[in-house]
Amino acid sequence: MRIVRILKCRLDSLLHRSSADTALEREIEMHIRRLTNEALAQGMTEHEARAIALREFGPVEQTKEQCRDTRRVSWIQDLAQDLRYGIRLLRESPGFTAVSLLTLALGIGANTAIFSIVDAVLLRSLGYRDANQLVLMLAAPVKRPDALAAISYRDFTEYRDHNHVFSYLAGNTFHDLTLTGAGEPSIVNTADVTPEIFPLLNAYPLAGRTLLPEDGKPGAAPVVVLSENLWRTRFGSDPRLIGQSIALDMRSFTVVGMLPAIFRYPDGAPHPDVWISVMQDPLFGPRTSRPDVGLLGVLGRLKPGMSLTQAQADMNTLSAQLEKEFPAEDAGLTIRIQPYRQAVVGNLKSALLILLSAVGLVLLMACANVANLLLSQATGRAREIAVRIALGASRARIVRQVLTESALLGLLGGITGVLLAVWAVRSLQPFLPPDVVQISAIHIDGRVLAFALFLSLAAALVFGLAPALLATGSNLHWNIKDGDRTGERHGRNMRNFLAVAEISLAMVLLIAGALLIRSFALVTSVKPGFDPQNVTRAEVSLPQFQYSTPQQWTAFSRELLARLHEQPGFKDSALAAPLPMDRQGEATFEFRIVGSAPVARGESTTADYATVSPGYFHVMRIPLLKGRLFSEQDSPPRPNVTVISETLARRYFPNQDPIGKEMRFGFPPYNNVSRQIVGVVGDIRDVALSKKPGPIMYVPFAQAPLYGGEVVVRTSLSPSSVAAGIRAAVHAIDKNLPVTDIETFPDALGQSLARERFRTWVLGSFSAMALVLAAVGIFGVISYSASQRRREIGIRMAIGAERSHVFRLIVGQGAKLAFSGLGIGVVFAFLVTRLMASLLYSVSATDPLTFGAVAVLLLAVALSACYIPARRAMRVDPMVTLRHQ
Amino acid sequence: MPKPSDLLQGTLDLLILKTIARKPLHGWGIAKRIQLLSNEALSVGQGSLYPALHRLENQGWISAEWQESDLGRPAKFYALTPEGRKQLERELKSWDRLSSAVRLLIQNA
Repeated sequence: MRIVRILKCRLDSLLHRSSADTALEREIEMHIRRLTNEALAQGMTEHEARAIALREFGPVEQTKEQCRDTRRVSWIQDLAQDLRYGIRLLRESPGFTAVSLLTLALGIGANTAIFSIVDAVLLRSLGYRDANQLVLMLAAPVKRPDALAAISYRDFTEYRDHNHVFSYLAGNTFHDLTLTGAGEPSIVNTADVTPEIFPLLNAYPLAGRTLLPEDGKPGAAPVVVLSENLWRTRFGSDPRLIGQSIALDMRSFTVVGMLPAIFRYPDGAPHPDVWISVMQDPLFGPRTSRPDVGLLGVLGRLKPGMSLTQAQADMNTLSAQLEKEFPAEDAGLTIRIQPYRQAVVGNLKSALLILLSAVGLVLLMACANVANLLLSQATGRAREIAVRIALGASRARIVRQVLTESALLGLLGGITGVLLAVWAVRSLQPFLPPDVVQISAIHIDGRVLAFALFLSLAAALVFGLAPALLATGSNLHWNIKDGDRTGERHGRNMRNFLAVAEISLAMVLLIAGALLIRSFALVTSVKPGFDPQNVTRAEVSLPQFQYSTPQQWTAFSRELLARLHEQPGFKDSALAAPLPMDRQGEATFEFRIVGSAPVARGESTTADYATVSPGYFHVMRIPLLKGRLFSEQDSPPRPNVTVISETLARRYFPNQDPIGKEMRFGFPPYNNVSRQIVGVVGDIRDVALSKKPGPIMYVPFAQAPLYGGEVVVRTSLSPSSVAAGIRAAVHAIDKNLPVTDIETFPDALGQSLARERFRTWVLGSFSAMALVLAAVGIFGVISYSASQRRREIGIRMAIGAERSHVFRLIVGQGAKLAFSGLGIGVVFAFLVTRLMASLLYSVSATDPLTFGAVAVLLLAVALSACYIPARRAMRVDPMVTLRHQ
Repeated sequence: MPKPSDLLQGTLDLLILKTIARKPLHGWGIAKRIQLLSNEALSVGQGSLYPALHRLENQGWISAEWQESDLGRPAKFYALTPEGRKQLERELKSWDRLSSAVRLLIQNA
């Protein structure tokens, strides 16, 4: 009953506000009437009595306001009123509104865009049920726990069958196979899996079925699951495809089902086109019976409630048992488990967090700018606010009004910012490193919008609080009397503080951006040790069921090169595998030097490895330093030879001539083959442009053939005619062979720098924004202060100050702010940039040149921002100013 | 005559509720009656009386009605609601507890 009464009361005062106010008016008037009557009864005149009654009653308006406040709905009315008033203010000063909105939109937009990427990569769930149960499992030697390696099929089955912690354990590895029939031969990205992977990842087929446990047994009929993407692009979404056969590496597989496109495993890597049992893979199938060959990455799903520690303990017990049971292969091997998410996100985290903090700084600067603008406005409004307080508005009420206006500004800025972010995310996508981020997964969704809303309101609070406090904190009396100069010192201090803060933030951002730009410039100008200009590359791979013997591979390579050389413009052609920048990770190929002391167990000497045709060094312009290069004669049955790189020679043959020495290394079945060193060539950067050259050993293709390789052609022909020429040569030999990944070498190098380019581009644009914001900020402060000082300047000029003196006065004020900002900024930058040391290439995080250049640039920009207000101050006419004031 | 003492915080509600318990009164009447019944010892400032009345009304303890007054014009008369009557009993009890506690303390300290 009471509730109803209260609700009715509130509703009445909300809906019939004016009648409630009239009632209040009448009630109080009534009281004053009676007070007047009392006074009249004592014999006063009507006028006197009224005056006494009013004095006795006290401040009428404040009492009324207090009564209104008890209605508890006044805040809604106040809000509506404040909003209306705020909108009117914004419309009255379109210049101020435009600048603040633009500034805020930049800050909030940039933050929202970066957050949408961070959200997609770091925060959003991976899209599997209970994704935190997923772990990745790899083998590692006890002595080198970081040298993660694949697990042999035998060990996988042991772990799968004897563990107590996983509900599923599945192995997978990836491989390229050749798909023929139904159009151009093409390479399909193949996932070789054990069938447990489908229930483990909760993968349900779009049509048909996934692999069943029987399909994973040795000797089962070969079946394949297609991706929705391949099914649509290659087979025209033919619903009758299930049950039919397709040819992979010229071998027939029956299609049993399709996986929907939303199934994204493996995250952060190219998605497989086809899924087959690892048993059926032409390359890996036979190796499942080899317990000495590490074959599978293993994915596990923890049983509910099982912790990572428990799982690791169980794996430690099992691997100790395996070590006892199979000392030949498993001695010294342990299992390392890590959460799947961590494996996917990995080293991306630090780079993204740096971007996020950089963009946060941009927003802070935007807030400082808007706060500055609001402060200038608030000073102008001081008289209005003083009158409101005098009329009975409480301080809290005034603060609320000013904050409502800020929130309005913040929300409008936020809306513009989100629009900006939508555009930015779209235009950023070409720059995103494709191997890392699921591009389609980045979009502005509810979470991102919530983030933007939160950001807008937080920003509004930050930039609105200072003017609000300033407006209410200063002396009431002064404000009414002399509105223009209200709280001037207060305001000036705060504005100066904001300008200094902005410059120091800009300094930090600019230094970070400049370091990345400098580092990127150094990486791109680095000499890779070979000449990529005018070189085109293409990949050719041979289906293994058809080309199964090394002799066939060699014969194919000879014929291909011969046909290429016949074509005009293709004289400089060669074959190699792999090419520089194609390898993943560090050099890990083991070798031994014949005649040297055997290395200790668990340690090894490693180098990169490439098998090349004799013309390779000439095509790539890799210089011969000593000895000789390969020739056509270096093929079986002639003795095995190798050419090593300068670093290998220097590191492993110090102070001796490596020519004539022998090394043992190679791919099975040519491992443990002794090869004589016949030459030393120059170093090349083969892992990444930013990585120093490592040791490399080259072998002649004819003595270590592979089922395919990379064709490189140095020619002045256009890229498309090179592509056509290579296709023609390959298809003249076998029209079922796919030629893929045709690109110019400079393009390929550019792609290897995708990540660097992305972060340099993004941080560089933040730095540019910071520079603009700092310039606008200092411009605002100086021009406002100059306009406030007109009278002072007028007096100075009237008593004889030179115009140049006035100019110096204004610029000097700006310079003082700029120097304070620079000083603070350098200290912060010094502390902060070392966090990004891992992203830099051959530039120190505290590079004095960068620090100096940025300081000079920022100072120049700050001083130019003072130029216009200083010129304006110079033109002040003393007579006009003095008369006006 | 001693200066009327300031009202203890929170006792104003109790005084208002008690004053209008017998019959509805308007604001002026309430102020006068408090003054009268306390032998001029207590005086309610208009500045706190009206906000208190409106607050009690908004809390549902009292209700208001416009009626003809002795001046011949309608005035806003406040009356206890049933819930307000219960609230008055609660407030009286707690006042009794408080005052007897204070008396005990003064006598024995």
